Parts: sequence; C-alpha cells; structure tokens
Amino acid sequence: MIKFIHSSDLHLGKPFGRFPEDVRVRLRQARADVLPSLASLARDHAASHVLLAGDTFDQTTPAPSVIRQALNMMRAADHLTWILMPGNHDHANATELWRQVARDAPPNVILQLEPEPYALNAQATLLPAPPTERHPGRDLTEWFDGATTGETVRIGLAHGSVTDFDSSEEGSSSVIAPDRARRAKLSYLGLGDWHGQLQIGPETWYSGAPEADGFKHDKIPSALLVEIEGRTAPAKVTSLPTGTINWRRVTLDLAGEDSCETAHEAVLPSLRERALTMLDLVITGRAGPLDRVALETAIVKVAPDFLWHRADLGALGMVHDTADLDAIDRQGALRAAADALAQEAADDTLPPKAREAAQAALSHLFSFALEV
Amino acid sequence: MKLLALHLTNVRKFTGKRASITGIGDGITVVSEANEFGKSTFFDAIHALFFEKYSSSAKSVKSLQPYAGGAVEVAADVETDQGSFCVKKRFLSRKGAKITRLSDGATVAQDDEAERWISTLLGTASDGPAGLLWVRQGLLGLEPDSAKEKTQLMETRRDLLSSVAGEIDAMTGGRRMDRVMRRVAESLSEITTRTGRKAGTWKAASEVVDALDAEYVSVTAQVQSLDKALSDRKQAEASLKRLDNADAKARRDEAFTAAKAGMEKARAHVGFVTLARQDRDLAELKTKSAQSELDAFLNAIDLLNTAGRQAKNSSAEAEEAKCEALRLRTVLEAAQIQHRGAIEAVAENRKLLDVTRLQIAARKAKTEAAQLEKQITKAETALGGRNAARAITKASSATPEWLRRVEQAQAEVLKLNAAVEAQATTLEMTYDGATRITQDGVIVPGDQPIALDAETHLNLPGIGKMTVHSPDVGEEGRARLATAEDSLNDTLSQAGGETFQEARILATTRAEAETKADLAQAVLDTLAPQGIETLRTAKADADLAATGANDEKLSAITDLESHLAQAQEAEDKAQRGLSNADTEHATAREITIKLQAAADSAQQALERASVDAGAEETRDSQRAERLRAQAQEQSALIKAESELLALIAAAPDLDTAQAELKRAEDTVNAVRQERVQVGERLAALSSEIRTLAGNGIEEHRDELEGQLEAARATEARFEQQAAALARLQSALDAERNAARDTYFGPIQEELKPLLSILHRDAALSFDSESLLPSGLMRDQAKETLEDLSGGTKEQIAILTRLAFARLFARQGRHMPIILDDALVYSDDDRIIKMFTALTRVARDQQILVFTCRQLAFQDLGGARPTVEIIDT
Repeated sequence: MIKFIHSSDLHLGKPFGRFPEDVRVRLRQARADVLPSLASLARDHAASHVLLAGDTFDQTTPAPSVIRQALNMMRAADHLTWILMPGNHDHANATELWRQVARDAPPNVILQLEPEPYALNAQATLLPAPPTERHPGRDLTEWFDGATTGETVRIGLAHGSVTDFDSSEEGSSSVIAPDRARRAKLSYLGLGDWHGQLQIGPETWYSGAPEADGFKHDKIPSALLVEIEGRTAPAKVTSLPTGTINWRRVTLDLAGEDSCETAHEAVLPSLRERALTMLDLVITGRAGPLDRVALETAIVKVAPDFLWHRADLGALGMVHDTADLDAIDRQGALRAAADALAQEAADDTLPPKAREAAQAALSHLFSFALEV
Repeated sequence: MKLLALHLTNVRKFTGKRASITGIGDGITVVSEANEFGKSTFFDAIHALFFEKYSSSAKSVKSLQPYAGGAVEVAADVETDQGSFCVKKRFLSRKGAKITRLSDGATVAQDDEAERWISTLLGTASDGPAGLLWVRQGLLGLEPDSAKEKTQLMETRRDLLSSVAGEIDAMTGGRRMDRVMRRVAESLSEITTRTGRKAGTWKAASEVVDALDAEYVSVTAQVQSLDKALSDRKQAEASLKRLDNADAKARRDEAFTAAKAGMEKARAHVGFVTLARQDRDLAELKTKSAQSELDAFLNAIDLLNTAGRQAKNSSAEAEEAKCEALRLRTVLEAAQIQHRGAIEAVAENRKLLDVTRLQIAARKAKTEAAQLEKQITKAETALGGRNAARAITKASSATPEWLRRVEQAQAEVLKLNAAVEAQATTLEMTYDGATRITQDGVIVPGDQPIALDAETHLNLPGIGKMTVHSPDVGEEGRARLATAEDSLNDTLSQAGGETFQEARILATTRAEAETKADLAQAVLDTLAPQGIETLRTAKADADLAATGANDEKLSAITDLESHLAQAQEAEDKAQRGLSNADTEHATAREITIKLQAAADSAQQALERASVDAGAEETRDSQRAERLRAQAQEQSALIKAESELLALIAAAPDLDTAQAELKRAEDTVNAVRQERVQVGERLAALSSEIRTLAGNGIEEHRDELEGQLEAARATEARFEQQAAALARLQSALDAERNAARDTYFGPIQEELKPLLSILHRDAALSFDSESLLPSGLMRDQAKETLEDLSGGTKEQIAILTRLAFARLFARQGRHMPIILDDALVYSDDDRIIKMFTALTRVARDQQILVFTCRQLAFQDLGGARPTVEIIDT
C-alpha cells in the first residue's frame, strides 16, 4: 500500500519577463507557494511521498535562492519524502544544479538522477527515467520493462511526451511509449512535461503543472493523489486543485449587430475572481465604429480589475454605415476623408498593411471626431 | 457705391483750407499730382470717413488733424442704388456725422444713424472691403502689418469667398476639421517628429527594445559561457578520472622503476671503463718513461762524441781568426795616416783661396771709394747751383702770371692812348721850306699829325706865336688812360720794374733761374737719388772694405779652386779607404770573438756530455739495464689496453638507458602536470560556473526574452499607431486641400484673365490659411511670393484686389478701388500692362488712382477730376 502525490512542471524560477514587474512578482510567488500547497495536500491526504516528475526548476542553473528556498520548503515538510527527478528543463546533465541540490538537500529529499529502481517503501519500487539532456531523443522508459523489483508495486516516473502526442510542451520530442505501463507491468506511470492534467491510459497520467504559466490549458491546475493498495490493485487517482492564478484567454466574437459592451461584460469573470486572473481578451468579428469606441472605452475601464489584462482588437473588423460616418460629419472635408479611409480599408486590392493602416486611421478619426 | 467727389476741410496740410476733388468718373479716374500735394491725405481721410466712427479718437483719426488743431471734416459725394448722397463726418471737435441727399439737400441721417447708414452701404459691420480693395502708398504686399487688420481682412476674405462658393466650414470641415487635425497632430507629435521619425513614447519604447536587446545579447553570451564552462568542466572531470586511473598509474610507476635500474647499471659500467682507461693510461706513461730514459742514455753517448769533435774544430778556427784580425789592424792604421794627410792638404788650399779672394775685394772697394768721392763733389756743386737759382726765383715776383698781367695792362694803356689820340685835334705840317715851327722849343715834325693840347702854343718863326685852342673832347679817355697807366705802373712795381721792357727782363731773369734750379735738381737726383749723405756713407763703407789692399801679384782664382778640388778628391778617397779598413777590421774582430765563444761552448758541452755519459767503464751495463726496463713496460701497456677494449665492448648503451628513463620520467611528470592543470582548470571552471549560476543568468536571460517580446510588441503598436495617424493626417490634408481648391475657384476665375495680361500661362496658388496668394506658377516653376521682385509683388497685389473687387461686384456690392501710388516698382512695360488690366476691370468698376508719376500715368487714360484748394 502506498499513497503519494504526483506533480510536475513546477518551473520554479520562471521569470515571466513579458509581463510588467508587479505581475511578474506575483506569478513567481505563486509558483513558490506550490511546494507548501503540495505538502499540505499530502498531509491532508496522508500521502507519504510527493513525486515530482521533472521540470521542478525552470533552468539548468537557477539562482541559488530559488534552489535554497525550494529545499527549505521541502525540509519544512518533514512528514513526507520528496522524490525529485530531472525534466527536460532541469535535465540530469545540469550538473551544477543537481550538485547544489545534492549538497544542500535535506534527508527527506531524494534525487533520482540515474535510471535505477528505488524502494519507496517495502511494498513499492520507483522506476525513474530521468532525462539526460534537454532532448534525449530516445525512450528513457524502455528499461522499465526488464527492471527487477521483486513483488513490490512498480511505479514509473518519466518526463516527456508520449508518442501519440502531437506536441509536447515547448516542442520536446515525443518518445515515451503510451503503453509503457502495460508493457512494464507498472501499477502507475507518472508523467511530467504536459502542463495540463491529462490521463493517457488506465495507469498513465500527466499530472499537469500545479500552477499555470500560460493560456494554453483551460483546465484548473491540479496535482494527483495516487493510492495503490497492492501489486494487482488498480491505482486510485484523484485530482486535487492547486492553482491560485487563473490564466484565461477569452475570445469575444462580435457579430456586428450585438451590443459590444454587453457582449464584453458577458465574457468577463466575476469581479471577485478578477484580481487573480490573467485575462487575454481576443476580440473577433465585426463592429461599427461607435460600438468599437464604446468597447474600447469599456475595456479601458475594466482592465485595472485584473492582475493582468490584454485586449487584442486586431482581428476585429469594422463595419460602418452612413449613420456612422455621419457621426464624423455629414459633408465637407472631414466626411470626404472618412469616406476615403473607409473605402481604402475595404479595398481588397490593397496590401493588408495598407488596409489595416486605413482602418486604424478611420478608428482614430472616429475617436477624434467624437471628442470634439 | 460710387464716389462722385471728395471734400477735406482742415485736414493735415490743408490747414484752414478746403481741398476738393470733383468730377470722379465711373471707370478710371486719375488724380495725378506732384509729391507733397496731399494724395495720401485724401486716401487716409476717405478711409476714416467710411471706417472710423465720427466719435473716434483713434490714432488714424488724430493723424488727420493739422498742427494748428481744430475740427477735421471729411465729406464724400457718393452714388448708391438709392440715389446720390453726401457723407460727411467731423472728427475730434464738434464731432458729428451726417448723410445728406444731394438731390434736395435733405438730411437722411445724423451721427449714429449716419454711421449705421454707412455700415449698411458697405454691407458689413466689420471693416468691410476697403482694406481689401484700397491700397495705401507703400503697402507692397497683400496684408497689412498689424494683427488686428490682418484678422479683419481675413474675415472679409472668408466672408466674401463664403458667399460665393458656399459655406467655408461646410467645405473644409471648419473648426471641427481644425480641431480634429490638431488632435491628430498632437497624437502624432507624441510619438513622431515632424519628419516622421520616432519620438516621445515611441522613441522611448524603441530605446527600451534596443537596451533590452543589447542586454539580452550580453546575457545570452554569458549563458553560452556558462554552458561552455559546464561542458568544459565535464570534460575536465573526465580527464581527471582518466589521470587518476590506478592501473595506468601502476604501469607508469613500474616502467619508471625499471628504467631507473637500467640507468644505474649503465652508469656503473661506465665507472669500470673509466678505471680501465686510467690503468691503460698509466701503463702508457710508464712505457714512455722507460723509452725516454733509454733514449737519453744513448743520446748522451752520441753527444759526447760529437762534442769532442766540435771542441777541437772550434779552437782551430778561433786561432785563425785572431791572426786575420791583427793583419787588418795594420791596414787600418795606414789608412788613418793617409786620411789625415789629405785633410791637411785641403785646409791649406782653401786658406790660400780665401786670402786671394779678400785681396780682390779690397782692391775693388778702393776703386769704388774713389768714384764715390767724385760723385759727391759733383752732387754738392749741383746742390749749390740749385739753391742759388731757387734764391733768385724766390726773391723775384716776376712770374709769368705777373708778366701776363703787365702785358695786359700795357695793352690797355696802348689801346686807350690810341683812342685818346684818335679823338684829339691834330696838326700836320707840310714844310716846303726850311722854316720850321716849334712847340715849346721843339720843332714840330712835318708830314705827320701832332696832337694838340687844349691850349697849344706854337712858335711860328717869322710869323710870331700862335696859340691853338682845342676843345677838350677826350677828357674821359684821358682819365681812363691815366687809370690804365696807374694800373700798369702798380703792376710793374709789384716785381720792382719800371717799364714794360724792364718787366720783360725781370721775368726772363726769373724764368732762367727756375730753369737752372730744375736742371741742378735733375743732376742732383741723378748723382744722389737717395741723398748726398747716403753717398758719403757708401764711401765710408768702401773705404773700410778697401783696408789691406795692396799691389802684390795674385794667383788666379781658377787655379786656386782647381787645386782645392784636387785636394778634396784625395781626401774623399782616403776617407773611403779608411772606412773600408775599419769595417774589415771590425768584422774580423767580431768573427774572432764568436769563434772563440764557440770554442768555449764546445768545450763546455764536451764536459757535460762526459758527465751525462758517466764513467766510461759503466756505459755498457747501463745500456743493457735500460733496454730491459723498456721491454717490461711495453708488455704491461699491451695488457691494460686489451682489458680496456674488453670492457668497452661489453658496456650497455647509456643513451638508450637515459632515453628510457627520461621517457618514463616524462610520462610520470606529464601526468602529474596535467593533473595539476586539470585541477586548476576545474577550480577555475567551478568558480566561473558558481559565479554565473549564482547570478541566475539563465533566469535573467529568460526574463529578458519575455521583456523583449513585450517591448517589441509595444514598439510595433506604436509603429502601427504612427502609420494610422500619418495616414489619417494625409487623408485630412488631401480632402481639405481639395475643398479649398474648390473654395478658391471663384477668385481664380476672376484672377486668371487679369494675370494672363502680365504673365501668359501663369497661375497663382493660394494659402489655405490666409486665403491669399502664396506663390506664382510660371514656366513650370513655382516661386513663393517672398521670392518675387518688388514690381511683380505689387502687380500681383493689385490684380488680386481687382479680382476681389469683381467678386464684390458679382454680389451686387460695387465698391470703388482706390490705389495710392501703388505702382512704384513696376517698369514702364509692366505699367502699361497694368493699365490694360485696370481698364479691363474699369468697364464695370470704379477705380480711383492717386499718382505722382504724372508722365507715366498719362497713358492710363481715364477721367481727370478737378482738384481745388480754397481758403475757408
């Protein structure tokens, strides 16, 4: 009988450089808080081990503070054992990192730098497949099939993509056999690399990252609680939410006749959630110039509600009629300029860049004309 | 409105006067007057009449008041659609305005009502078109200087053109367009420069990108350094592992030990060979010593024999040499005696020769002394003669000059005497008998004229006495003659003469004395050129040299010299004989000494050889002993040589042993050194890795990557925004310009035919802000107004006003055009063309021209009004 927490892809030390400084700090802190969260889950569910299936660290040479603080948090959770296996970001050949970890690690932290069986307890044996490089180029779990573990429960731990994945995180090659658990008679194969939680087979799971770091996955970041009663018993897997920052990419598709403000309000998370939400708003469809101005005003108004907010109106087409252009002017040079720009924006014979410039110019003209 | 007449009362120079212009026509009216007439006064007064309130005390109104002060009154008779009226205003004093109908003299309006009447007439409450149409003197351009006037005229133009082409705002977007364009410009200026380059926030964003990019490159390089350091460390660790391999180390140590043992063995063998070589060398020395002893003994025997022979021979040779030396000594002594005799003979001959030569010289000196004595006597005689002659010369003043003056004086006396005689009364007697007339007892000669004195007494024998009185006609001549005679006498007396003949004698005497002195001096210079004393000295010297002279007979010098030469030759011969004898004797002596020394030496050698050879009875036994010892040492040497060769043949190769040892040693050292180097390299790499990794360099790079991505996105947004704003700005500019082109259409339509009179195919471009011409297009080139000449500029200004006037007329607002000396810079040709343009417009437009160019404006034609100035 063994009960453990399976997690991966903590990516401690990830800088999030494309975000503003205050957001970066908050995101980094959220990642650092994952370790106490996992320890708390383990304690709450009486798990004896936390198995981290790679990419605990974001780089091969993270800052010493990142390593030390992570080890200190693990040391603090002395009621359980942390199993650290390298991933492709912190592969086994990252000698400086793992030397430092080995030097400073507390007794309850076990490194798995070699493909050798490790007895988690008297009933369970861990078969780790630590990546030797960022792109090993081979199935490192092959050795599981012939590994000798006696009568103990066989638990595999690997990092990478399975072969029927189209792509892994950040383009690593996909080489882990999807039926490795069956072929190696594993009770459970814990995988890392894919940041969204995903079950590949009856015994094969990606735990996903406990804290999201992008808008790619729409599931709530979680860890997996795994309970295995015995060698022949199936693993009982329970998903436990862990994420604190809500990364959301929302597409707002405007049909043209809708009220843009209403549609925009409808896709926004609740006010309570917004402070911990990273919102990437992608607006598509078509809107009239007045609606667009109103939408832009609304976006500017709600943006401060969010931890981070971005609205991409690049794909929003403009639809306008005589009434819209009348808002600029009914006649004269202003109106003539608006007509010329509108015509240019709709002229398919022009290069896209020229059309975009004309459309943006028309939007500015609307904004400026309505100001005065 | 048409102007009919103008009346100015008490305006500027028209103090206390009334100036009027009447008879202003419908078309062109030319007021052509000289400068200072007051044309500009009329212009300013009309302007004030129509555009200044009667109550105004503006500067333009005050300027109308003359120095004497008083009320200023301006009136104009005008014709309107409602009839003809007189518009009159009084400024500054007893102010008022009044409109009177001319037909009946009825007052139409007064004061403020009169002002409203005028405003209605002009058609606007503002400054009206006058500023636009009326051109003041000196106003070259199209706009006045003051901002207020500019604004007013701008409004007038806008108003005028609006009414023709429609609402300006409707066409150009008006203020709304202005604000939008301003907003676009503001937005654009926040991110770009005027030329479209990055500025403000866009530039800042771009700079952020550049800074981040630079930092990213730098940090990426550091990450690469870190990766390389990690890789290098891995390799170094592998190297260290290889170097620390125990088996390899044991193999290296074993090889080193074996090489070292081999080397020690080889070195020991070298020692044995050295000892054997020393033994061989010792035997060789002993052998050589025995041989030397044997050779010395045998040599001593030989030397003994040789020395005996040499001692005998040397003694004989020495004795023989002694005899020869004695013989040569005798020869030497004989040569010495002969040499001394020769020397004495030479001395005797030389002495005889010297004595003879001295006698000859004494005798010669004696002769010379006698000659010198004679020469001195002659010189002293010449000296005495010269001195006597010089004394005569010195005592006499009868120089040639003196004689010349005497001759001149004599000639003068003769000349004057002749003159006197020529003027005197003469008497010439011709006797035919014996009786003679006497004068003062002297017979008067016959047949020759005799000068008569003033009173001449003649005794005529037989007749009596006759006194002849002659007039004294030569008194002056006689006086001059007397003076000349006095002068002659004075001159004569200077040298002691009394008559002219004496004078000649005195002069001759003096000249002869001078000649004598010169002759004596020449003799003296010849005999004693250096003085008589020198001659005397020479004589004394000759006397001294002549001492000892005698008259004995002397041998010939040549004989004596020949005897001396023979004696000297004999001496030379004796000298050579002596020298040869001396040399031969010395040589013989030297040989004798050497042979004696050799004989002594041979004797000594014989004695030594005898000692070396020992006693004669032991010499055989000594030879046998030395031969035996030599044979024994030779045998020992052969044995030692054999042993040495055997050892050398058996010696191991020391070089090989050394090479093996060196190779083994080098291998150990190289491994040790490499290990040290690898260790140091590892330490350095670890340090570098710790430093770079400790800075979280990868994390920093990833962070920069993200920041760079965000910054580039921001920069791209600015670029898009700038492009959009620029496009908007160009669209607005294009549309507004198009609208303004339409807006300027009417004015262009009016202007084109007028402009073509001056410039064929020319066109004016208008400024969209000022609504005025801004440039001239001609010959396919555009010139700004500022670049045009003064003449062209003033022509365009007038044509533009003509065009505006026609626009007014098309609206039914007929306003006169007033030009006050407006064509100042135009040449004659252009003025004619301008007249054509004015005439063309004047067909339905009143134009009033003030000009001082009376001659030039004769060709303009038009009406000539009556100008009248009367006292009030």
